[in-house]
Amino acid sequence: MQVRAAPDSLSEKVEQSIKEAQEACSDDPASGECVAAWDEVEELSAAASHARDRLKDNDPLENYCKDNPETDECKTYDN
Amino acid sequence: MAVCSAYTTQSLNSTCSISTPAKTHLGFHQKQVVFYRRSSKRGGSGSSSGPCVITCSAGDSQTVVIGLAADSGCGKSTFMRRLTSVFGGAAEPPKGGNPDSNTLISDMTTVICLDDYHSLDRTGRKEKGVTALDPRANDFDLMYEQVKAIKSGVAVDKPIYNHVTGLLDPPELIKPPKILVIEGLHPMFDERVRDLLDFSIYLDISNEVKFAWKIQRDMAERGHSLESIKASIEARKPDFDAYIDPQKKYADAVIEVLPTQLIPDDNEGKVLRVRLIMKEGVKHFSPVYLFDEGSTVSWIPCGRKLTCSYPGIKFHYGPDTYFGNEVSILEMDGQFDRLDELIYVESHLSNISTKFYGEVTQQMLKHADFPGSNNGTGLFQTIVGLKIRDLYEQITSSKTAAPLEATKA
Repeated sequence: MQVRAAPDSLSEKVEQSIKEAQEACSDDPASGECVAAWDEVEELSAAASHARDRLKDNDPLENYCKDNPETDECKTYDN
Repeated sequence: MAVCSAYTTQSLNSTCSISTPAKTHLGFHQKQVVFYRRSSKRGGSGSSSGPCVITCSAGDSQTVVIGLAADSGCGKSTFMRRLTSVFGGAAEPPKGGNPDSNTLISDMTTVICLDDYHSLDRTGRKEKGVTALDPRANDFDLMYEQVKAIKSGVAVDKPIYNHVTGLLDPPELIKPPKILVIEGLHPMFDERVRDLLDFSIYLDISNEVKFAWKIQRDMAERGHSLESIKASIEARKPDFDAYIDPQKKYADAVIEVLPTQLIPDDNEGKVLRVRLIMKEGVKHFSPVYLFDEGSTVSWIPCGRKLTCSYPGIKFHYGPDTYFGNEVSILEMDGQFDRLDELIYVESHLSNISTKFYGEVTQQMLKHADFPGSNNGTGLFQTIVGLKIRDLYEQITSSKTAAPLEATKA
């Protein structure tokens, strides 16, 4: 099963932020700029991960049935 | 929403207040107190008694507030989904609002992401060179004001922090729910907010497990490598240790996630050792125990009655101290493979606040696709959810009892 990356703009943001963090830290790894840059990478990585999960959840039938469980295509017979 | 009831009372000290929120653009509220008293003194015939009082209270003022401290989790986390599921109904973002809202609303619960109280957006933090973990990036005054308002039954306009753009978006209206959950990095950091919490939980992921999980999360993203993931964790660690970690001593329950001891040198983070550390003496909260409360028990359920596959399951229970507090610790190491293992374990646990036999198992099965459904993280998150339901029911029944007492007197 192929794991897809997040939507392109977010993926690009993640990639970009990693590059920026590496640059910021090349001067002074202990500086506020370096630390804040990696924090941004973490934030964007988390957002990208959530976006990936949302993509996984986007089954049109599931979404339709969530709102219309009584229709023929969505009825479940458990007993 | 206000409820007004008219009373005729003999008391001389009757006061009346009508609360109408007057909102500033930041969402601060000032209650306007209106004193209304109509006294009818008619001779001594006795038909009409003393002052007539109208008392209004906003909503039913019974919002129970739960705090959950977790890194990088905001309303979408597995814990939140399990918790809201215990109360029934799916938790959804507010309909018709900002699609990037972090808030989740179900019938009984509203989950607020504390990132919404960032005082600095992503650019601002970059300029100042602070992380989101730093208290300087968060507006604790606003957090306190709004949580206090919601707890007392007043709706607030809460800012939205957009995780995609990194900007602070226009506010959304939050109406007081029955249960308010505040989730984020700093629910217990500010003392005033801490005092508003009816129950607090800290999710403590050990460094090894955090690293393993972040690798699994981020390796699919191009741009990330093992080095960048490691660098990100290392860079955030000082702020994390200084500002986030110290909150765990205030938590009523800590869920500690560690690497397993059943597999030597395991670094995949798939089999986990999870410890539920429960503070003793917390109002409305009775810790879960195994076999004999207050004693120390080591239990391996796998044997003649139950066959488990590798690496098996190991439980431990016992009293301990944690940052100077008396606690009880319930620990599970290993994995559930089958339904009967789960129900077997459930049947041996006590004080789990289920409403029927097998409720924990049922809840775990309902979300079998959630991470942690086969180990202690899912089990203890589910149990904590049931304890919170129990706590909520105790609080609301004691609150409805009190006014009844007053009217009798």
